[in-house]
Amino acid sequence: MSRPFPYAFISCPCANIPVPDPAKKRRSRDSPQKSNPDKPKPLLPPDDEDEQTFDPRSPRANFSLYPPEQLLYCEDCHQIKCPRCITEEIVCWYCPNCLFETPSSMVRSEGNRCARNCFNCPICTAPLAVNTLENVVTGGTSQQGPWVLSCGYCMWSTLDIGIKFDKPTNIRTQLSKMTDATPSRSRQMSRTFGDLKSPLSTYSSIDEAFLPPGESKPEDPLDQPSAPLNPDARFNALKNFYKNQISATSSSPTDPLGMDFGAGFSSPGALNRIMSLYTSSSRLSSLYGGANKKPKTKPPVMREALTAGEGLKVPSPDAEDALIQRMASPDCGWDGLASLEQRSFQSPDARFVDDLLPLPVLLRTKRSKRCKSCKHILVKPELKPQSTRFRIRLIALSYIPLPTLRPLNPGPQQAATVLPTPTAPGSTTNPNLDALSPLRPIQLLLTLKNHMFDPVRVTLATPSVTPGRVASKVTILCPQFDIGANSDVWDEALQGASATTTAANTATPATATTTDPRGSRSGGLGVYEKVAEAGKVWDKGRNWTTVVLEVVPGTLPGGVKRTLKKYPANELEADNHPSNNNNNNDDEEDSNSDSDSDSSVALDWSGQTSDPNQQLQPDEDVLEIPVFVHMEWDSDNQIDQEQGVGVGRGSSSDTVKRELAYWMVLGVGRIMREVV
Amino acid sequence: MPPKAPKGEYIETDTGNKISRRSLIHGTQHIILGGKTVIQADAVIRGDLYRSSSSASSTDPQQAAAATPNSPSVAITVGRYSYISRQAILRPPSRLHRGVYSFYPLKIGDHVFVGERAVVEAATVGNHVHIGKDAVVGSMAILKDFAYVLDGAVVAPGMVVPSWCVVGGAPARIVGEVGEGYGVEGAEGGMARERYRLVGR
Repeated sequence: MSRPFPYAFISCPCANIPVPDPAKKRRSRDSPQKSNPDKPKPLLPPDDEDEQTFDPRSPRANFSLYPPEQLLYCEDCHQIKCPRCITEEIVCWYCPNCLFETPSSMVRSEGNRCARNCFNCPICTAPLAVNTLENVVTGGTSQQGPWVLSCGYCMWSTLDIGIKFDKPTNIRTQLSKMTDATPSRSRQMSRTFGDLKSPLSTYSSIDEAFLPPGESKPEDPLDQPSAPLNPDARFNALKNFYKNQISATSSSPTDPLGMDFGAGFSSPGALNRIMSLYTSSSRLSSLYGGANKKPKTKPPVMREALTAGEGLKVPSPDAEDALIQRMASPDCGWDGLASLEQRSFQSPDARFVDDLLPLPVLLRTKRSKRCKSCKHILVKPELKPQSTRFRIRLIALSYIPLPTLRPLNPGPQQAATVLPTPTAPGSTTNPNLDALSPLRPIQLLLTLKNHMFDPVRVTLATPSVTPGRVASKVTILCPQFDIGANSDVWDEALQGASATTTAANTATPATATTTDPRGSRSGGLGVYEKVAEAGKVWDKGRNWTTVVLEVVPGTLPGGVKRTLKKYPANELEADNHPSNNNNNNDDEEDSNSDSDSDSSVALDWSGQTSDPNQQLQPDEDVLEIPVFVHMEWDSDNQIDQEQGVGVGRGSSSDTVKRELAYWMVLGVGRIMREVV
Repeated sequence: MPPKAPKGEYIETDTGNKISRRSLIHGTQHIILGGKTVIQADAVIRGDLYRSSSSASSTDPQQAAAATPNSPSVAITVGRYSYISRQAILRPPSRLHRGVYSFYPLKIGDHVFVGERAVVEAATVGNHVHIGKDAVVGSMAILKDFAYVLDGAVVAPGMVVPSWCVVGGAPARIVGEVGEGYGVEGAEGGMARERYRLVGR
């Protein structure tokens, strides 16, 4: 999900730290280029902290940037954990349609599909509903019509493949009976339904019961090729056959290959033959096993399946022709052919739409998550599939401040850009974040909201010029500030006056809003006469602090540095028609290049396609600011304090000083090509 | 509503609902808003499509008798801090049952976001559900808590979207899951109060 502007992603430090491997760590510590291995290892590798700025455009950044709500936090490693630094364990299996849990033993035996009435449409994958055919009821009592599965999306129903059900429950059993046990059905119906099961599953009841009649029936395979055995039963027959073959042909009873099927996929004789090649002729034979060698006995040869009962299927010679004929016939046509996506979940023989069977819904899982390095559990959902609660949930948002970005507008009408939908109604916001004009400074409000119960001191750092070719200048007006603790709202209310005064001491003049005990971040919205000042926080509340970022978007490589003198007029224009700007943003970007080449050939050629230097990489015009966040706080002492990385001992024994550092990326907006 | 704008865009009710004057709400007596709900301009809410006893009685007298006791039948219930964007359509689900075409109540939970031009005909929409813009939620669909419908998705009629699942496409399939932190106040999925606060300013 790409997010609308503005957004904030947080980089998991795991991208820079190799997988914790003790041997590797020792090696790197000995290596000379490591700066100072004696120093307690900080959260980020030292070189990263010292020199490198995080480049949101580097290919590796893709793998480490996550929206804040995706991240977890390990209390033992004291680190942010992204989906790559965790392992998952399945807590339960459930059907996403009926939300019933399936026991794992059943998943193993029956495959990971719903065994009840849940089916997906083979045509369009929408869920199928069980409907009765007899919808005209006179007495209100007779509901005993035949039942079908029908798709509410594409209007497909099992009537299209000629299937009706006698009762509305246990559809899957009915269906598998129908498709398994009736060889008299039409050709496409003869296939089993059970082939949807995992091939690793151990087959039970139906298939085993079906096997003996298939074996006992001696018939000419050429005569009736597909009738007796469906693919599923055929697989079983073949499996049994080869198992028997291996046990029969293995030369010695101690042959490891004869024991189980899984160890050797080839015939066991093959290995013997190969071994005898080397041992028989040369003098190695005297070294290796000269005693038990009987080289001249020919190892028994494993044969292949010969009868239909053994699982052999010989397609009739005209099968392909029949298929082709059917494809070519006018009643099939393009629409009659099953698409690749449709066939991928069906029997290998299914070629036509008529061959497609309803698919039982794939199960989903609830999973618990563990830290990969210390194996501590980070997330443990409740067992019940329907429950949304967690027994354990260590999300990063409870530990790191939640960043929120929004543009600061000088105008009084300011709203709605914080909304997830920037095009929300009434969004008469001035800066259109999807079309930032280069070289015109904008101010942004960055709010960090603390969810910990300890106050946090935060230091923000950002490169003064964003990395990449589009160099935007960034200044954080107040890079160092405190965020209050996320204390209990009721405590706060009871303490009342004292909290207000402490907030007022540190905050800027807009403190009238900070008395709001709920820490409303929109508190400062009304006071936009205020001017951002360097070195001062913009606004501050119970557990949040807002600072101002000043950004001068850079010019794009192909962009035209036209006149800057047109500024004021355009500013007005932009203010008047923000929605207009918003709508045809994309068109503008295309047409801009044209107009550039027309109007300002002398200034800049803007030949985006010809000159690779002028070519804009995808999303290169997105203004993303890497910000390094360093936070430190005093937390209650815990037993495991010696494990903590980057933990210095506090002065008193019951608090411990902790720190955490990470990169985050603020997505501000998209820079326009042209300086308007 | 602040006194400065008595004829503002929004009517604010006693329970804090902010309802645009330009929204189209039919059958108000069959709609329950939980409070602090935002209904934006041009949103259509079809409270008039409730389960009527008259239509049922024509074919099925017994059912009509059962339906009449709860006389003001509820067509649409919306929870707290839910947000209905512009031009969204909320319509109670309907189906043909025992030969009678009837409507069923549409229940929407708390902190639900319905995007612009979305059409919702679900039977149940849980808490903290996000329905993207231009999405269509088919009749009798069930969106469990924390479900996320991507923009432009078409949730097939009768589909169930489990909790924490992201669905997208036409017809919608489960394409992923939201993170564990989804729905935390102030973060993604937990913006409902913020959204509410900003409306009408």
